[in-house]
Amino acid sequence: MTKLLTAHFDEPMLHELETFRRLGGYEGLKKALALGREKVVEEVKRSNLRGLGGAGFPAGMKWSTVPSQAQDPGPRYVVVNCDESEPGCFKDRVLVTRAPHALIEGLLVAMYAVDSEQGFIFIRGEYGVQHRILQKALSEARAAGLIPAPSSIDLMRGGGAYISGLDTALLETMEGKKAWPRQPPPFPTAKGLLGRPTVVNNVETLCMVPHIVLKGGDWFAKLGTAKSGGTFLFSISGHVERPGVYEFPMGTPLKEILAAAGGVKGGRKLKAVIPGGVSTPVLTADELDTPMDFEGPRAKGTFLGAGGVIVLDETADMVMVAHNIERFLAHESCGQCTPCRQGSYWHERILERGLSGGGTAEDLATLERAGENITGKVICALGDTVGVVTRALMKKFPEDFKARFPERRG
Amino acid sequence: MSPFTPEQEKVLQGWAARYPAPLMGLGEALRQVQEWHRCVTDEDEDYLAEFFGVPRSRIREVATFFPSYTQKPTGRHRIGLCRGLSCSLAGSQSMCACLEKKLGIKDGETSADGRFSLETMECLGACDQGPALLVNDELKGAATEESISRLLEELK
Repeated sequence: MTKLLTAHFDEPMLHELETFRRLGGYEGLKKALALGREKVVEEVKRSNLRGLGGAGFPAGMKWSTVPSQAQDPGPRYVVVNCDESEPGCFKDRVLVTRAPHALIEGLLVAMYAVDSEQGFIFIRGEYGVQHRILQKALSEARAAGLIPAPSSIDLMRGGGAYISGLDTALLETMEGKKAWPRQPPPFPTAKGLLGRPTVVNNVETLCMVPHIVLKGGDWFAKLGTAKSGGTFLFSISGHVERPGVYEFPMGTPLKEILAAAGGVKGGRKLKAVIPGGVSTPVLTADELDTPMDFEGPRAKGTFLGAGGVIVLDETADMVMVAHNIERFLAHESCGQCTPCRQGSYWHERILERGLSGGGTAEDLATLERAGENITGKVICALGDTVGVVTRALMKKFPEDFKARFPERRG
Repeated sequence: MSPFTPEQEKVLQGWAARYPAPLMGLGEALRQVQEWHRCVTDEDEDYLAEFFGVPRSRIREVATFFPSYTQKPTGRHRIGLCRGLSCSLAGSQSMCACLEKKLGIKDGETSADGRFSLETMECLGACDQGPALLVNDELKGAATEESISRLLEELK
């Protein structure tokens, strides 16, 4: 089975420039410079590479909306979003730890493609070890002449807020402001960092780019499904034998992905799977044939997200799961939009009441009603998520909720 | 009087000069202040406001928005415990009780000698190694009672 990003993960020194180059690293950059900007963007468009941070926006399309220097003269930026914080997702951490140069190479190709001289890697502050790995890799790359002046790449660390991982909130954070998402349009490619055209790409997305340049967009597209090209990294955790990062072609059935991770821990029975991180509604044990690309989970009312697969066995209490997720959203809500700020807090409180023995059937009706008044009435994807996962859990596992929120008489 | 030494002021100037706009260095500057003072004090905010030439409220809204920066001093070793879903499934609640007992402080508190502070945190990005710990800026995976004892011994 074709593996792109994890193919050399058994090489202990892959993080060093010498080893990375010996295994073909930076050949994609060399070829990109020979092909020319337009051809690089064209190949990425043909590849059906999607934004692998969860949104799934076609990467080549995003790049092609950056205005040319003739249209909008001045600096333009490429920002790597390494602010990975969605519960269940940890592939960026693994990629940066094992193969920092793969990210730097992808970033350099992206900078070339959109005619940018300045790249940034924004990394969450909790990834201190990974920040130091990137610092070292960047100095290796500079010393080897891979980042020729006037091009430069710099690092910046986040302050521990999940919302900074949303592209426009990330740009606000970088500008030294609180991480309040912007209401597009304008989109960052038109007006991003400091009001200049900016491409924000996820770590994994950029790591794929050199492979596309080297082997061609058509080749990459064929590895995946009709609309989702290439392979994808799944972060698997929860009640599973071997948690970790697993690379599979887009469209691989969920069942195969779980089997690779050794199946449910301790041979217990599977209850449900969160397919893409806690912002994505659950799939039941009967839905494991779902093809895992951007389209497959959608047909089941959920999302591929950033591939954070969380396995839940028969012992999982879905009210606890819902409470954990809504508490996370309440903690991370930036407070800008009232429905999200208030809605997430009330979801957390109501579910907490259920867990502590004070829940009633009326609470379930409140959760249904309140949840429907949040999604679509807020600026960003975090707000859109509030209540969605809880309602999916209530629908698919009503017994768990009835037990915690019983009918009370008299 | 400046709350910083001349050397520290130079470091802050470095952050203000590093990126295309001075305020882009604010986040890293606050991280630095947090490391020096274990929190961001009112005096620090006043200094930074004047330093960056912005109203004090511009500094405060950032310093209070992001959980990495605190208004009360953390311990010299800031210990975070992940309460995200995967870490919860792996038993992060019982590890919290274990840490509280061994450190003699509750979640959110700092020990009297200023050595340790304990915070439960949202997802740390180490779901494959739950329950995950964050010691200052380093992730430590798969906490057990034994690994916590060893860790606290090393940090003494």
